[in-house]
Amino acid sequence: MSETWLIYLGFAAALLAVGLYTLLTMRNVIKLFIGFEVVSKGVSLVLLSTGFARTHILLAQSLVITFIVVEVSLVATALALIINIYRQTNSLDVRGLTKLKG
Amino acid sequence: MIFLFIGLPLVVAAFMPLIGKVSKKVAPDVLANAVFLFLLVLAVTSGRQLIGQGPVLQSLSWLGEPLAIQIAVDGFSLFMLMAISLVTFCIGLYSINYMTHYGSKANFYALLLMMVAGMNGLVLVTDLFQLYIFLEVAAVASYALVAFGLEHDELEAAFKYLMLSVVASAAILIAIGLLFGLTGSLGFAAVGDALRGLDAKLAVGFCAALFIMGFGLKAALVPFHAWLPDAHPSAPAPISAVLSGLLIKVSGVYALARIFYNVFGLEAGGALSQALMILGAISIVVAAFLAIRQSDMKRMLAYSSISQVGYVVLGIGIGTPLGVAGGLLHLFNHALAKGLLFLNSGAIQQSTGTRNLDEMGGLAKRMPVTAATSLVGSLSIAGVPPLGGFWSKLLIIMALVQAGHGVLAVVAVLASVVTLWYYLIMQRKAFFGKLNEKWAAVKEAPFWMSAATVLLALLVIGSGIFFAAIIKSWIQPASESLAKGLQTALHGLGGF
Amino acid sequence: MTGHIALLCGIVLFSILAVLAKDLIKAAISLAVASLLLGILFFLMGAPYAGVFEISVVAGLITVLFMLTIALTKTGGDVRESKAVRIAFPVFFIAFIVIDILVMASLLPKIHVLAGGTETGTFGDVLWKQRTFDLVGQLAVILAGVFAVLALFRKRDKDE
Repeated sequence: MSETWLIYLGFAAALLAVGLYTLLTMRNVIKLFIGFEVVSKGVSLVLLSTGFARTHILLAQSLVITFIVVEVSLVATALALIINIYRQTNSLDVRGLTKLKG
Repeated sequence: MIFLFIGLPLVVAAFMPLIGKVSKKVAPDVLANAVFLFLLVLAVTSGRQLIGQGPVLQSLSWLGEPLAIQIAVDGFSLFMLMAISLVTFCIGLYSINYMTHYGSKANFYALLLMMVAGMNGLVLVTDLFQLYIFLEVAAVASYALVAFGLEHDELEAAFKYLMLSVVASAAILIAIGLLFGLTGSLGFAAVGDALRGLDAKLAVGFCAALFIMGFGLKAALVPFHAWLPDAHPSAPAPISAVLSGLLIKVSGVYALARIFYNVFGLEAGGALSQALMILGAISIVVAAFLAIRQSDMKRMLAYSSISQVGYVVLGIGIGTPLGVAGGLLHLFNHALAKGLLFLNSGAIQQSTGTRNLDEMGGLAKRMPVTAATSLVGSLSIAGVPPLGGFWSKLLIIMALVQAGHGVLAVVAVLASVVTLWYYLIMQRKAFFGKLNEKWAAVKEAPFWMSAATVLLALLVIGSGIFFAAIIKSWIQPASESLAKGLQTALHGLGGF
Repeated sequence: MTGHIALLCGIVLFSILAVLAKDLIKAAISLAVASLLLGILFFLMGAPYAGVFEISVVAGLITVLFMLTIALTKTGGDVRESKAVRIAFPVFFIAFIVIDILVMASLLPKIHVLAGGTETGTFGDVLWKQRTFDLVGQLAVILAGVFAVLALFRKRDKDE
């Protein structure tokens, strides 16, 4: 089964690469967060396809559900932060966030 | 019993908003501090007997039906529990006065309790995936706590922290997923056993690299440190103390050490050991030189945290019993001393309204308690005998020499001279010299803040004088359990 | 297997659309479609509960949260991404895919894994009997998230 596992991992790696590229290059804070969402899709794909290819699907399923719960909690916190930042700076540009340096 | 370390802060935090409705300040103060005191007493008194016979594995039952909730305590986790309880107890006392002007104390304590629950959980779990969950519990609480002031700087720092931290969690979780695929299980002992019977050097090395990146980001080791000098200074002072004193060590160093020793089986001189030592040494040197240039007091302390965590990782990475003992002792000493220094910086900021070292001067005359305690903390971190930091650095350097890493030993010694240098700069600019006229009316910090700093200063002095006893009763069991791992207790039990 | 691969290609495609879209609303919708496809894939893999969660929570709830945020921050939404990012993306992505395929192909004979186990029982057994502690962790994460949001949206009156 290790062959099918690698195929899924290859696709997951592509998702991770797209997400990381966004996180590294984009400027809009919401865009950055979409990048994070893409990364977490890659992560849940890694977890579930691992379970599928290695016949531990039930266990992997419960891991993915827990991961989704964690993700929601993170997204809520992050979006609350973004709204607060917007209220302060009136912009979503990450380049406005360069006050701290040194 | 042990489950109280997770359950109690969780339950109290859940009721905090209700309690905050009834009484805005007094009740949250009393309740949160009572929880911290209780956990401290529990860690110091009951823990030692519990693990007298070796590691303990506890399962919970509900109405006579056994639940699949397993937590394990061994020397290492007990040591971490003790350090966490000790520092959070002092932070709780300090917050009584300090957090008043931030408003909504109930919410603050709820988040702090969640962070404590997360850290305690992280230390007690026996399973890779559960380690990840509790890592996130502590992390989510810490994002909100960094942003608690809701000003521009706080929000900016929290956002950067969150962005880098989610990348770290993703790396960690992918490594966990790959290990799950390779071995078919998630328990520390089960994965460790399976890996020993498996010829998959490449895959395991890849997982180890992901772990180093993930936990290195959490611990702010040097190539991954960019977020820390923003996040730690921006948080309210007691939170800076928890973040620098505890969180980076629990979610970075503890997790890394636990996985590398108990799952991968780190060997002295092996590739894993070398990777950790190099990362540690780079962090020590680079962060120490960056710290000298800072004029913001909290920023200087933040860079110093990176440098000192480098010492801890260097010590643990050596892989010999002496090195591990030195690393853990330094973890403890740094938690106390850096917690103390961040609390001092908060006291100064509250009294004078500034963190800029150039604007301070002569504050020792107006704030004698803060000045004296901060001197103690600085000297301990800088490694001046007979304070705690001296002994732990001495142990690390001795272990380096013993293991034949002469060059790294020299680096460690020279970096500690640099450390002493920037701490003396800080002391001179802030507390000595002529009193800046602006501060003629400055008053000493209020009672609970001073009480917390004095308590921490006494602990720092005590940890220096009684270092032999601390090593014998706390550090040795911890480093032994790192060497042996949880295997003995978990064999046959840690199926999933 | 071909069905799986088609779905996987769709997920990657919509994720790329989400990342490159100029309009944030379109980006959020593309992301939701990617989630939907991932949810269907989970169903096909025999993980219906995870599929339901992915579709209802990630494609549903999180998309709603995104939309809400985009609506609340409307006037500042015009952030010009630099052109280079968009131009460099295909180069980066193709290079990555080539490396990805080469690495995976070269790994194929090298990876040794333990023989897959067999699972007995139902999903409920696994979740409730083996991973009970995860549920405690879930509870803790949700609590932490709730307190975080409460703290970030609290009214800031200096002296209560």
